[in-house]
Amino acid sequence: MTGFLIAALGLGVSLGIYLAMAAAPAESFQSPELARIVFFHLPCALISSLFLVLGAAFAAARLVKGGAAWDRRSHACIEIAFVFGLLALATGIIFSKVQWGAYWSWDPRQTSFLLVMLIVGAYFALRSAFADEARRGAVSAAYALASLLPILFLVFVYPRIVTTLHPDVVREGGFDNEYRVVFLVNLAAILGVAAWLYNLRVRCASLESNLEETLARLADRDRPAAVGVVRPVSLSSED
Amino acid sequence: MSSGWGSEIAALLAKEVRAELRGRSGLLTALLFNVAAIVAASFASSAQGMPAFGIAAMLWVILLFAAVVALPRAFLVEEEQGTGDLLRLWARPHSVFWGKALYNLGLMLLTGALLSALYLLLSGQTVERPALYVACLLGGCAALAGSTTLCGAFVAQASNRFALAGAVALPLLVPLLAVTVTGTASAFGAGSAESAERAAAGLWAYAVATFAMGPYLFAAVWKS
Repeated sequence: MTGFLIAALGLGVSLGIYLAMAAAPAESFQSPELARIVFFHLPCALISSLFLVLGAAFAAARLVKGGAAWDRRSHACIEIAFVFGLLALATGIIFSKVQWGAYWSWDPRQTSFLLVMLIVGAYFALRSAFADEARRGAVSAAYALASLLPILFLVFVYPRIVTTLHPDVVREGGFDNEYRVVFLVNLAAILGVAAWLYNLRVRCASLESNLEETLARLADRDRPAAVGVVRPVSLSSED
Repeated sequence: MSSGWGSEIAALLAKEVRAELRGRSGLLTALLFNVAAIVAASFASSAQGMPAFGIAAMLWVILLFAAVVALPRAFLVEEEQGTGDLLRLWARPHSVFWGKALYNLGLMLLTGALLSALYLLLSGQTVERPALYVACLLGGCAALAGSTTLCGAFVAQASNRFALAGAVALPLLVPLLAVTVTGTASAFGAGSAESAERAAAGLWAYAVATFAMGPYLFAAVWKS
């Protein structure tokens, strides 16, 4: 990414933070000042879900087309989803304590997101159990696709079929105009940060892979030729 | 490969059953573990006068652990005994998946029927809507069997496969638990018939989706 884009990203993030802090406190909440955490909490949760779906799409491409590049993209997406998922959980826990009186309220949406993080954690555990790159890529891609169904259920279905403390602000239009603008600016800025991190992660993974290949080639070159016992074999019939 | 899909799957299924009956220790250990868990759960629920929702939750937690303990073995044992490579040469990946999955499905249905009957007997819980209860039980067991078979295949060639099997399968199966518990509790009379119907339909849909995509995902892993 060029310097111009990074500068634009920095400007967008600064603007998002400024607008969030300048927005009027939400009076209907226990702590109106802290209600602004929604400008960071909700984009993190949405971006985490988006990158999980993207990761599954790249995993499907890995299985259909093959190649380590798709695996690197899928893995990077799932890593980014994990980081933003943890941020969504952390900001949610802070808000939960202030608004509902406990850090963990066993709210269906809170719990379902924790389960999603456990599923993603299992992806990393599975991935780390394979040393061979091709096998690791295939198994990780298959798991990413197999886990898509429970993840979609947990993110989009389960919180909507049970009673939850979370308002569905996106579908029900729960934001007023000012909050909607601030939310969209923050969503765009945080999405930009996530895309930048994703780009960096994919490039790092590609460099790591090249480095490993080069080191393996160098190790092969420095290895001494196999030395064995050579028994003289006579070719003439007189011997 | 000259033989058809049906004969390959039937041969694999017969091999699984024969292998299990020959060395009965796995089956007996799983049975003992599950019956002990049911007795412990019934004791706890009878002492506290547990509500129907709690009884349904306890039953499905036991079935979940029964599936996680027993079902991934289908693939793990192949790799432990070194017969996995022979299977790769002999059968197509889809046949291997279906053979193992059908065996696991049969085992899970048997386990589910036995344990739930025993649990209802010991806990004294009555079933208000038997048809919905059976639908939830069958759908839940099928979904558990499909998912655990796939998880077993994922971890079969991993370095720490036995520890990893549970760690990978459990997070994938916990969402199922939410649906099965809601459906079963409603079948006990703790919720509406509509809720139980929705849960049963969801479980059947999940099971069908798992069995439909399973062979394709399995083929990608098996070939690698």
